[in-house]
Amino acid sequence: MNLISCRVLCLAAVVLLLGCARRDVPSDTVRWHLQESPTTLDPTFVVDVAGGRIAAKLFNGLLRLDEQGRIIPDIASDWQISEDGRTYTFGIRDGVYFSNGREVTAEDVKFSLERLLSPEVASPRRWILSHVAGAKEFQDGNADSIAGIDVVDGNTVKIKLDEPFAPFPYLLTMPNVAIIPAEEVERWGPDFGFHPVGTGPFVLTEWEPDVRLKLEANPRYFEGVPRVRAIEYRIIPEALTAVVEFENENLDVMEIPWAEVSRYVASAQWSGFVHSRTGLNIHYLGFNCQMEPFSDVRVRRAMNHAIDRRRIAGTVLEERVEPAVGPIPPGLVEAPQLTDGYDYDRERASRLLEEAGFDKGLKTRLFLSSGREELTVCEVIQSYLREVGVEAELVPLEWSAFKKAVASGEAPLFYLSWWADYPEAESFLFPTFHSSNWGAAGNRARFGSKEVDLAIEEAHRTIDDSARALKYRQIERMVVEEAPWVFLWYRKEFYIRQPRVGGFRLFPIYCADKGTGMFFEDLKTR
Amino acid sequence: MRSYLIRRLLLAIPTILGVTLVTFLLMRSIPGDPVIGMVGERADPEVISQMRHDLGLDKPLAVQYVRYIRMLCRGELGRSHYTNRPVVESIAKKFPNTLKLAGAAVVIAIFAGLALGITAAVTRGRFLDRLCSVTASLGIATPVFWLALLLVMLFSYALGWLPASGMGGGAPAFIILPALSLGTRSAAYLARITRSSMLEIMTQDYLRTARAKGLGEAAVTLKHAARNALIPVITLAGLDFGSYLNGAVLTETIFGWNGIGRFAMEAILKRDYPVILGTVLIGAVAFIIVNLIVDILYAVVDPRISGSRR
Repeated sequence: MNLISCRVLCLAAVVLLLGCARRDVPSDTVRWHLQESPTTLDPTFVVDVAGGRIAAKLFNGLLRLDEQGRIIPDIASDWQISEDGRTYTFGIRDGVYFSNGREVTAEDVKFSLERLLSPEVASPRRWILSHVAGAKEFQDGNADSIAGIDVVDGNTVKIKLDEPFAPFPYLLTMPNVAIIPAEEVERWGPDFGFHPVGTGPFVLTEWEPDVRLKLEANPRYFEGVPRVRAIEYRIIPEALTAVVEFENENLDVMEIPWAEVSRYVASAQWSGFVHSRTGLNIHYLGFNCQMEPFSDVRVRRAMNHAIDRRRIAGTVLEERVEPAVGPIPPGLVEAPQLTDGYDYDRERASRLLEEAGFDKGLKTRLFLSSGREELTVCEVIQSYLREVGVEAELVPLEWSAFKKAVASGEAPLFYLSWWADYPEAESFLFPTFHSSNWGAAGNRARFGSKEVDLAIEEAHRTIDDSARALKYRQIERMVVEEAPWVFLWYRKEFYIRQPRVGGFRLFPIYCADKGTGMFFEDLKTR
Repeated sequence: MRSYLIRRLLLAIPTILGVTLVTFLLMRSIPGDPVIGMVGERADPEVISQMRHDLGLDKPLAVQYVRYIRMLCRGELGRSHYTNRPVVESIAKKFPNTLKLAGAAVVIAIFAGLALGITAAVTRGRFLDRLCSVTASLGIATPVFWLALLLVMLFSYALGWLPASGMGGGAPAFIILPALSLGTRSAAYLARITRSSMLEIMTQDYLRTARAKGLGEAAVTLKHAARNALIPVITLAGLDFGSYLNGAVLTETIFGWNGIGRFAMEAILKRDYPVILGTVLIGAVAFIIVNLIVDILYAVVDPRISGSRR
């Protein structure tokens, strides 16, 4: 082979390689970064964020949330609550079709809700409907159907609760109670989660696990065809690789990795395209309240005074969090936010420890999951605690082992976060502090207080929003005084989009975003 | 040769059974619980116990192991606890990707390693030898994840020549950076081994004879010396290939490569037992096959080996 033909071959190879490197993505597809693949898209089983985010675009429930977190009708055309607060009557919209072409009826609502509670299905989210009358009998296999769900006619469903439960409409906005067609569930069996059929604005057209998912606009969506033709979710586990892909314009929307937030926020080129809001979450240091020495409230209060959360938020966490006062993040309760939480006060912390009999200090173990950020934060917390005589040995465990240690009550002290399932303050009080929820159900601090339990139950029964908001604040105050956690901070979410993506909005909760608001600046005519 | 191969394949059966038993016991001896991960942050204790029952995790370990072996005998690997997808199906999709990446990495390693090693050997003591040795040392000392990120920053971000992640539906450009990251360290080891092996061989009498016959230096080096220096190279390349087939976790994660390594790692973190067992099993089988191929290659490169086996 002579030199010229060698060169021609090399040139051809380079052209071939570079040609293949360019991705042929239509300009009307939003490419969205995901760090992890969803585990399933069967609404009955979705518990992960990625799954919930995508399921929201494929399915609809009776109700959904708007951008402010307010409840609005979804498949329901309207709904009424009886005077005793126990019966909800939902009208079903006309002209809502599953993507297989069949129209939704009230029977589909009954089927979907019963599937969530079915003893054969064992949904991890069946607690959502635990307040419905007859739910217990049905899930125990003692009834063929749920007595509290009644199909009045083809377009009306009544749901009766055992007792008034004010947050119930919020629970109906969760992706797990989305309406699904019985015939498709029957057809696909355990694989329905990979072949989801819903009524949502998008339809799943491709799913290459751990690589990508593609959703295409549903032409028969009852609120009109979405403005973008498709959403492609690209799964890229490594944060830096995702950032490079975003800057190379191979991604349109990305949650900004923590290490990159400051850079993007300060960048003249990008800051206008960064979207942020304080998420519905709280990061906390949980005590096992049933274990010495944390069974003593004075020790728990001392620990709250010992940590300068504002300083950590401003330095280590670079203002990417908002310091917490109590367990409820801002914006959830329409009653004045608590202001008198635990200030950083080393002397007071030492005094409280002395009163509790730990004048010579105490030793404990602080469990954490072994992420880099968790380790950094806990090392700082460890040094603050050391200053008041608390020697906390760090026990980093990988996630599964960590969760088990915390849920089983083995961990005396742990660094964890709690994220809302729905934007109601109840989501930060009942699962986390009611004594019926010890362990994996949410109350990992194993906190138990009769007064708090009764107050939460009372708030559940309070239908009036303003009155309930005041009750939530009172409960929050009671919890802060009992200090089952060190209330650390609420984490902010940061997203970035390409300039060509218009109409991007951050919803208070990931599963509220239907993806219908987005459009391309250069394709506004669609 | 045929009886040797049959014997080796039969010996693989107890090895594989041993691998399943050790993996099974190791998996259960480390802390963690798949069900706690599967149910999310707010779980009903009754659901947890029902799920544990449905997955058979409430049975004694011995019963669970026997059930697993029975399932294996039926040619099944079970379903993922998390996604409910059949493990066989997932592995069948991901293993060819890992095979492709491992193959490309080993090809890069062999070509670069041999080139560097032979160059260093024939220029012994000179500048080029030192340059090759320093390059090889750098290759060995560079952590894979760091090199991978560096390559992404350089070729994808700064120069924009190559894609940073994904598999591009099999487009060749997508494999270059992952294969380079994965193959560099092997190339460096191979270069060092080739150099020392070549230096040992180049003092042999038969090379003097070859030169005396009037063969050029290139022919003496490549045809007579390099071929005999290949045995340790094949051993090392085979071992590396086998370990890549068990997954290159960091490379696959950084480049979003949909392979066995990432799949296994995520399963380990989530305690997804059927996936862990399935990937380890496939890895063990791949390793056994690669070792067998390496043994056959020995015989091809050096016919004396095949004679001695008989």
